[in-house]
Amino acid sequence: MNNKRKIKTNLKTALLWSALFFPTGLLMAQDGAALFKTNCSACHNIGKGRLVGPDLKGVTNKRTEEWLGKFIKASQNFINSGDADAKAIFDEYKVVMPDFNLPDADIKAIIAHIASQSPAEAEQTATVEVVETATSSEPAMPGSEVASKEDIKKGSELFSGKTSFVNGGPSCLSCHNVSNEQVPAGGLLAKDLTSVYSRLGGDAGLQGILKSFPFPAMAHSYKNRPLTDEEVRLVSAFLYDADKSNIYQVSNSGNGIFIYGGGIALVVLLILIALLWYNRKKNNVKYDIYNRQIKSSN
Amino acid sequence: MDIRSQVSMVFHLDKCIGCHTCSIACKNIWTDRKGAEYMWWNNVETKPGTGYPTKWEDQEIYKGGWEKNGDSVSLKGAGKLKGLKNIFHNPNMPSLEDYYEPWAYRYTDLFEAPEGDDQPIGRAVSLITGEPIEIQAGPNWDDDLSGTPDYARQDVNFKHLSKAEQESMFQLERMTFHYLPRICNHCLNPACVGSCPSGALYKRGEDGVVLINQERCRAWRMCVTACPYKKSYYNWNTGKSEKCVLCYPRLESGQAPACMHSCVGRIRYLGVMLYDADRIEAVASCDEAELIDRQMEIYLDPFDPAVIKAAKENGISDSTIVAAQNSPVYKFVKKWRIALPLHPEFRTIPNLFYVLPLLPAMASVSEDGVYDSLSENLLSGVEKLRVPIRYLSSLFAAGNDNKIIEVFKRLHAVRVSRRDTTVKDVTETQLNKVMSEANMDIHEANEIFRLTSLATFEERFVVPAAHREEAIEMLENTGDVKGNTGFGFKMKPERGL
Repeated sequence: MNNKRKIKTNLKTALLWSALFFPTGLLMAQDGAALFKTNCSACHNIGKGRLVGPDLKGVTNKRTEEWLGKFIKASQNFINSGDADAKAIFDEYKVVMPDFNLPDADIKAIIAHIASQSPAEAEQTATVEVVETATSSEPAMPGSEVASKEDIKKGSELFSGKTSFVNGGPSCLSCHNVSNEQVPAGGLLAKDLTSVYSRLGGDAGLQGILKSFPFPAMAHSYKNRPLTDEEVRLVSAFLYDADKSNIYQVSNSGNGIFIYGGGIALVVLLILIALLWYNRKKNNVKYDIYNRQIKSSN
Repeated sequence: MDIRSQVSMVFHLDKCIGCHTCSIACKNIWTDRKGAEYMWWNNVETKPGTGYPTKWEDQEIYKGGWEKNGDSVSLKGAGKLKGLKNIFHNPNMPSLEDYYEPWAYRYTDLFEAPEGDDQPIGRAVSLITGEPIEIQAGPNWDDDLSGTPDYARQDVNFKHLSKAEQESMFQLERMTFHYLPRICNHCLNPACVGSCPSGALYKRGEDGVVLINQERCRAWRMCVTACPYKKSYYNWNTGKSEKCVLCYPRLESGQAPACMHSCVGRIRYLGVMLYDADRIEAVASCDEAELIDRQMEIYLDPFDPAVIKAAKENGISDSTIVAAQNSPVYKFVKKWRIALPLHPEFRTIPNLFYVLPLLPAMASVSEDGVYDSLSENLLSGVEKLRVPIRYLSSLFAAGNDNKIIEVFKRLHAVRVSRRDTTVKDVTETQLNKVMSEANMDIHEANEIFRLTSLATFEERFVVPAAHREEAIEMLENTGDVKGNTGFGFKMKPERGL
């Protein structure tokens, strides 16, 4: 608590805020942890290495709160506005951070949470311990690497929608495609997830996203029907397997059937048309007469 | 019995000289407009010949008319499924090439050409594109006297004739031709009305004139395909189809249609026929051999008290019944049985009847090539006539030769009786034989002769009163508007009101 307040003094506006409404500031700090979990944890970590986005440990020391606020609210606009640092980060990670249309107070709370989890250099070890205790309070989920074949199969069924999610969330396949023989070709509305496991940095990133979807479209779709922990485990196990076995997969996009089948169907259709309308009137009824006129005039 | 009245027509083919005055009268009144130049609501064809549009009689090409379908009839080329199949392209519909590209001449070139060594010419320009064109075809391109192989020998009716029969029609001193003036038949079972997806075509209740409502027409052109006589035309300028209206504005004011009024040969007759609408389906779907007899049955005797009573119950006015009693059409078709409908096998029950052409009956060439015009040959049986029975039966009797022979016997009997009256070289035996074969007495022969040759205008055209006042009363109560119309003021007068 002491530590947190120390950092807050570095933040001018926050200082004013907390000075005036101290109890509220305390409340905010608690909110900050929850808000970070729902909004940020899918892609960001504090002190546990990079996921989709950078590790946010110590970011409050490097950037001003104003800078962070702008990035959170509309990262692309901010990058395009010509901020060199923001552009450098984007160039490094290449993943567009979704815009978070949160109230200023929530953003402040999140920043405060990050700050509280990022101790000054000297106290780093202590904080890491704190973080570890915090994570260890949640039951540890077995890693996808050790998932059984059965789990992978169950995961693929959940992915394709063959078995429904317990809370009634839509199946992944309706928007996402995975090149894997266990599931049919999927939707093209969202990103291809064949290599999502490695792209999102393994279980930590992937399961973070699956637990609380950070992307607006997904957040909306799964708002009141989140995936259970078991489902998260199974789906990520399947995605791990899909990523791993990707090089052995034959593309099942069905393009070949469409092209060759379409060609054959066209020929059949043309023959059918030719037969059906064989007797139709092809020339005008005076065709022969006109031809004779032309011959005789030559 | 559901008795209705129908304005019907008779054209006497023996009298038609092929002058096209009727076509021009019609053109000047109705189709001398942009988009209608190629339309000939009335046209005159040479038979044998290909007609207009070319080969219109060949329903293998155009798919017009009805075909027998069990106890009923169905359209040959239109209907829900057939229409859907051809919705984007209807190959059975005649194209402009099947008609002809209408043209006019650049007459101003003749007047405005500078002085030169040659005569100026007025080039033909298309009435559609406005560009100069080489004229390839016209609405009456068939040759008289069976000319080139392109037209007469392409006659669709020849498919019922053997090669020898066809050839004999083109031999010098044996050849025959006649004209065939055609207008809309205002059929009892009109295929055009049946085919219209928009319901724009209708048969007028009071006189049976078939019309196209120009406001409801949606340019489907199903009627163009469906009419086996090809008498519905598409106006490319207005985007609506048009057809012969039987000059109904003239009919309503008691005048004969323009084509009939202008006919110099006085071949045309118009009058009312009473018919039983309940029998239409049965007649249209009967066997081909019975078609003519069954069609004749549908027209009722306007003197029969039961018919008159039923007609009055159906709202047919007294003046119409009197017109039906005086109808020249009733006499030619029902009483004297010498007029037949054109192509009854299309099953539309047409109301335009033709008195068959007996010409050239009056001469033949003997074995040794002598042109023989002696009375004995002239008065011998109808089988020895030049005009081939089979050809006419294909035109007027759905291939039933006996129908043609029956009519010819009666026409021939009138001829013989007139010869007896004027030339007086017919023996009584000959006359009696001919008359008894035709089942005709001298009185009837004289009546036929009178209406054929000496008829007055009022005898040829018995136009029933239109009773427009009844039509108005169906739409509004005339009492409501009585006293509301008449003299009015555009500006308020200074005094009064």
